[in-house]
Amino acid sequence: MSASAQLLSPSLENRLAALESEVRALALASLEQSSRLEATSELVRGSGQQERLSLIVFSGSLDRLIAAFVLATGAAAMGMQVSMFFTFWGTAALRRESVHVKKTLLERMFAWMLPKGVKKLPLSQMNMAGAGPMMIRYIMKKNGVASVEEMIELSKELGVELNICTMSMDLLGLKPDELIDYPERSFCGVAKFLETAAPGKITMFL
Amino acid sequence: MQTSVDARGKSCPLPIVLIAKAMRDAASGTRLTVQADDRAFPEDVKAWCRKTGHELLSFDNKPGFYQAVIKKP
Repeated sequence: MSASAQLLSPSLENRLAALESEVRALALASLEQSSRLEATSELVRGSGQQERLSLIVFSGSLDRLIAAFVLATGAAAMGMQVSMFFTFWGTAALRRESVHVKKTLLERMFAWMLPKGVKKLPLSQMNMAGAGPMMIRYIMKKNGVASVEEMIELSKELGVELNICTMSMDLLGLKPDELIDYPERSFCGVAKFLETAAPGKITMFL
Repeated sequence: MQTSVDARGKSCPLPIVLIAKAMRDAASGTRLTVQADDRAFPEDVKAWCRKTGHELLSFDNKPGFYQAVIKKP
């Protein structure tokens, strides 16, 4: 008989053995629990929404473009990732002023009818045959609000991404060469927008 | 190194954009004094600091404008 066995009665020894195996089982269970917790928190962290602002700029009116760029530059200043998707009438806002590109007859018709860049955009209301935009620009200047052109420059500096819908460009007969130069610029379709915007916190249609 | 931003006469979003630009190139621990008269400034500067993890050391109402001191962590 071993020395330890002499100290304990058989019933106590059994109870000790039972306790030992219980403790071992509990330790195993808690280990499992903590690893499951770790996995869950990893999942939560991974699926956490990104600090991204995605804007679809569908409208081609000056007031909406101002709003779009105020949002974009403001968000960029707050440290958010910003992407702007220009589609339909919005693509016309990105035209450069005096660029001559080869076009078909229909394309030339559209080119003539569409505003040639930000400086020529109408207001969505109170356009008053062009007097509206002039007034708005004057009031903005008076109030120290940055002009759209200035905000586009700021967007460049702050790394705002400009993505341009190629389908809209094809429909409106616009060519890449006639659009403004911009470092973070890409030509894309709806898939790029959806992939970019899906994990983001704020997505808007202007 | 820039230690002050005068955004008086400028409206949203310029004040916070100017702060962001100044802080981007600033060294850690820099104190930036910002002056603005935009009515949105009191709320905007507090929101900017909270969002970007900067410390708003002080905010004062001066005659005709606001003055805030922000510290980069």
